[in-house]
Amino acid sequence: MNKNSLIVAQNIGYKINENKLFHNISFDINHGEALHIKGRNGSGKSTLIRIILGITEPVKGTIENKSTKEICYLGHKNALKTYLTLDDNINLMQLTNCDMLKSYLDKLELNKYRDVTVSNLSFGQQKKLALLRVFLNNSDLIILDEPFVGLDDGAHTVLTSFLNNELDKNKSLVFTSHIPCNINSKILEIPK
Amino acid sequence: MFKLEFLKLRKKTRSWLGPILVFWLIMLAYPLTVEFLQNKLEIGFFSVLWIAILISMMLATEDIFSEDYNDGSLEQTLIKNPSFSIIIVTKIFTHWLLIGLPISILSFVFSLGTTEDLSLSLSIFPLAIISSYIFLNLFVLGNALSLNKGSVLGALVTMPLALPVLIVLGKGLIAIQLDINYRSFIFLLLGSLSIIIVAIPIVVSYVIKAHLE
Repeated sequence: MNKNSLIVAQNIGYKINENKLFHNISFDINHGEALHIKGRNGSGKSTLIRIILGITEPVKGTIENKSTKEICYLGHKNALKTYLTLDDNINLMQLTNCDMLKSYLDKLELNKYRDVTVSNLSFGQQKKLALLRVFLNNSDLIILDEPFVGLDDGAHTVLTSFLNNELDKNKSLVFTSHIPCNINSKILEIPK
Repeated sequence: MFKLEFLKLRKKTRSWLGPILVFWLIMLAYPLTVEFLQNKLEIGFFSVLWIAILISMMLATEDIFSEDYNDGSLEQTLIKNPSFSIIIVTKIFTHWLLIGLPISILSFVFSLGTTEDLSLSLSIFPLAIISSYIFLNLFVLGNALSLNKGSVLGALVTMPLALPVLIVLGKGLIAIQLDINYRSFIFLLLGSLSIIIVAIPIVVSYVIKAHLE
């Protein structure tokens, strides 16, 4: 294990009631590295992500997160207010003053929907809106749980290219995805 | 943070207007159920007033956390803000500002309309303000405890904690009517509020973290 790693996990285990979800999982993530967590449905990928985020405590083992900035995270839930407009949601995400906001709204074809209530947007458009917090992040660690679900080819390409650029900027990435993506990453396979 | 919470609640009209309308309807319905003589109206008015405040505050907290919990906003908040209890304080204050304060003002208006006694109604106003904030905090605790089990269970769990406040409100009212120093009851409620206002957000933040885990 590298002493300069951003995240160091050693012998992590987690169980729900008496059922072991996974055990003895170790990994480290350095600056500029990506970790792709793979596994079958119910293998504990999302739980492992929540352990990395510090939301869930592992039953066994230790995890050290040396990131000094806040983590940029997007999980299965989009954290959007469906009764508010797209612009209101951007305001809630505190992204209104970001320089690149308009550029990404154009790239994701969301600009014309700024006054539309989010409940009237499609699933894919809602996902794109939620991803704005990733595109406009100010973090050194990005954690994504199935980020490609619901995205069209264009948005998939924009996200892949963005994440590769972030890795070039020495940021770190942890993600799960069943959808193939062209991101140079270490693989962590969680056995069932 | 406050501006964002305010924006969320303000745009969700049902959440803030609903409890105010329920309060308004209860207070309007009260005179219809008793004799229309002035002195008869005053007999049970204040009991109905305190209970209407209690019910309105219960309704005000119905989805104070459940919406954020279900859409993933609570997770985002927890990751980004180490001081989670400050968020809880902000949420409670925003709800009180948009729901509790208008209800307190309506309490004064209904009290004045029913009793036609300005000094009595002016004395009722601070009691309504403080009690609405206390009730709101108590029901927030109940909602946090029953976050994924429905708000009714939370309300039932917290209702016994509201009973002492109702007793103090009743005693306070008697003190006002007998022209005894009712300020002692105000200070008693303020003392309770000062403890609740600190303790509840800390407890609630731990409870919500446990739910998210």
